[in-house]
Amino acid sequence: MIRRAGCAGLVCGFLAAVLAPGQPLAGQRNFVSCPIVRDTKTVPCFLAEYEGELYFLGIQQDITSDFHPPQLKHQVLVEGRVVEGPRICGGIPLRPVSISVLKEVNLACNTLLPAEPGIEAPPASRGAGPSSRRLETVSAPREPLSGRQEFTVLYSFNDDYLEYAGNRTVTEATAYAKRIGASSVKVSGYRATTLLSSGDRLVEKAGLAEKRAQNIATILRGLGVAGVTLDWKSEPEPGDGQTDPSRRRVTVVVTP
Amino acid sequence: MRRLLILFGIALTLSAQYQNSFKITWIEPGSNVILPEFDAFDNSNGTLGVLNASGPVNTEGHPFFTALGSNKRACVNCHQPTYGMSVSAASLLDRWRATDGKDPVFAAFDGSNCPSLPQDKESSHSLLLKRGLYRIPLPWPPRKADGSPKKVEFTIEVVRDPTGCNTSREYGLQSAQPTVSVYRRPRPAANLKYVLSGGQPIVLKTGLLADVDPETGKPVSMNLMTDAREATLKTQAISAVLGHEQARVVPTPQQIDRIVQYESQVYVAQMAHIFGGPLAVPGGPAGLGVAALRDHPAGVLGDNESDPVFGLFTAWKGNDYYRSSVARGADLFMNRQFWIRDTAHINSIGLGNPLKRTCATCHNAQMTGQDLSAGWVDVGTTNFPTWTEPNTWAESSELPVFKITCSRDADPHPYLGRIIYTTDPGRALISGRCVDVGSIVMQQLRGLSGRAPYFANGSAKTLREVVDFYDRRFDMKLSDEEKEDLINFLGAL
Ligand code: HEC
Ligand code: HEC
Repeated sequence: MIRRAGCAGLVCGFLAAVLAPGQPLAGQRNFVSCPIVRDTKTVPCFLAEYEGELYFLGIQQDITSDFHPPQLKHQVLVEGRVVEGPRICGGIPLRPVSISVLKEVNLACNTLLPAEPGIEAPPASRGAGPSSRRLETVSAPREPLSGRQEFTVLYSFNDDYLEYAGNRTVTEATAYAKRIGASSVKVSGYRATTLLSSGDRLVEKAGLAEKRAQNIATILRGLGVAGVTLDWKSEPEPGDGQTDPSRRRVTVVVTP
Repeated sequence: MRRLLILFGIALTLSAQYQNSFKITWIEPGSNVILPEFDAFDNSNGTLGVLNASGPVNTEGHPFFTALGSNKRACVNCHQPTYGMSVSAASLLDRWRATDGKDPVFAAFDGSNCPSLPQDKESSHSLLLKRGLYRIPLPWPPRKADGSPKKVEFTIEVVRDPTGCNTSREYGLQSAQPTVSVYRRPRPAANLKYVLSGGQPIVLKTGLLADVDPETGKPVSMNLMTDAREATLKTQAISAVLGHEQARVVPTPQQIDRIVQYESQVYVAQMAHIFGGPLAVPGGPAGLGVAALRDHPAGVLGDNESDPVFGLFTAWKGNDYYRSSVARGADLFMNRQFWIRDTAHINSIGLGNPLKRTCATCHNAQMTGQDLSAGWVDVGTTNFPTWTEPNTWAESSELPVFKITCSRDADPHPYLGRIIYTTDPGRALISGRCVDVGSIVMQQLRGLSGRAPYFANGSAKTLREVVDFYDRRFDMKLSDEEKEDLINFLGAL
């Protein structure tokens, strides 16, 4: 049943590989492997190897950053697109790239390479020390929302942890629903499939769609939003190998 | 050498300024004294200051200083001004000798390793006398606000029980009221506006709702207690009276209000160094001393260059030996990079593992160095392989050792998986979550010189041992000078 080489031990408990292979995807790299950390003079670079090639995933940043680095002691599911241009930190850059830290501990993922002359991280908005700016950066004023609004919270693969961005989205949805006294706030949970470059499919675990929806509904209700209803789709969303991360989600539809 | 002697001379005169030869250093419950607006107490590092920001406090009949329960104890037993509103292990040993073990601070309930032990023996109070640890009995499984049991993700077995309490038929996990006993240091009941600030509706570390103040419904900081089990000072005070003081009735609202009022206006910080002289001086570092704590706004993130955690120390750079050491220590705390690795609730919340950062990444809130977000982190003080106790759970330890087995469908502890040996499951005893096993809410870093030993389990006898812990834990490769600077800096807070 478990066919991917390198997908060892506990991790594979979650990974249901389906026999029918998908299409190979040009320029897209979707794979599971151990992350590799490369130190530099500034912040570390995070890399991963797939089929003998090294890919650059991103650099260490702040919690507010779009890129959340992978973790040693864990395999990572990388879903990214190759971009043209020079290598970064020795790896072919992937962008956009989605990083999912797989939950089970994997002690084999333990590569931390020292800084080396000539290998430099791209400029970081935050170095490895304290921040050089105040965190309370004023976000640009936005058009006030109106009418029916759909908010989308995205998740890492097989995960229901509300990351920083999702936390912000839920906070925004809450504020909006309360401001307009929404007549209905509908929470819908999904789980999804990732089509790997190898043609295998990884399906998120059963029950996750419900868990995601329940978590968000609990938060909305707890923050005083009225009229929250929820549903979830038990069947996994299909995977196309291109847009799979966008389907690991909860949507919150706020209707005036 | 000559320079040191001169400094020593200055230090003596300065500390004499704060001296008061008739000073009460141990306040007993029911005592009748007026605590001045500002008071100072010597410790091995110098002098600790205690500021009552709303003026002198009369302890007579005051519920913080009066036994409200059945064991003759008051809050002040374990939260003494002399010891930074906590209590040092050394002072407890003195107390044991002075009272032949009769002081109510040694009450069987939580002032001994287990109430079932013969109470007149010193060995029955070894954790308190050696490490300053009180027994904290917590119900297992944890309960919801309505008293019903919470759903939990793991089972607990007792694999070592040096105190006998966790296997006791009367007090243990298999007793009629299943209880886990962990052993913890009193956290300072001072500078509390900082401890209480920073509450967010959704906890960054868990992505779940924060606890709320039962009176206002507002989210709380979740930085109170080692495991964030208390929402507010009020709920904390009620639990302390019913628990530590073994009261049979809930204290009155007036009593609770007075306790909270007192705690909320008391500030504690080191004021002078034994050789280096006064710390809070005009033109000196703005974050030192009690007045700074009183005047500074709470809830400000300090993990930045312009307005760092304990303020700027530039004024002391290149100053005399001690001051420049403190300034370098402050700089190390903010800027000395190392690999923060395998810490649940720091590396695992999207920052990456490892994370190349500094002490201030975790200790990030201005003035107290707590975490502005709910502060529980598994930094390696309680889970095995611990970095504080003997390395494996099978070796003898003074602390109980629990085996935690997490269920298959729960998220595992991010670095230890589903089977974890620990001396204190920390936050997990309250949340019931596997990822929280061994996560301890970081304490404030003020008044440290007055209240050794350190860490919730009292495993670091000195600030040197704290620094050595970090050096080992994160392979920091600190030089001797760097260690000394960090120690001087922490001791000045
Ligand atoms: C027998 C000793 C003892 C007594 C008596 C006692 N405490 Fe404590 N206190 C502790 C211990 C131990 C902790 C830490 C417990 C934990 O973290 O689980 C603590 C924690 C606290 C804290 C939390 C501070 C922080 O930063 O988290 C406050 C506030 C506090 N106590 C106030 C009080 C008050 C008020 C009373 C009296 C009603 C009181 N205590 C009585 C031992 C005591
Ligand atoms: C990964 C987060 C993290 C980092 C990095 C970190 N700490 Fe801590 N610190 C904690 C936690 C969590 C505790 C509470 C642990 C306990 O009590 O078991 C703590 C406790 C302490 C205490 C004990 C306070 C007391 O009252 O007992 C001191 C002192 C301290 N840290 C200093 C430092 C210094 C100095 C550095 C840098 C060398 C540092 N910390 C780096 C998380 C961190």
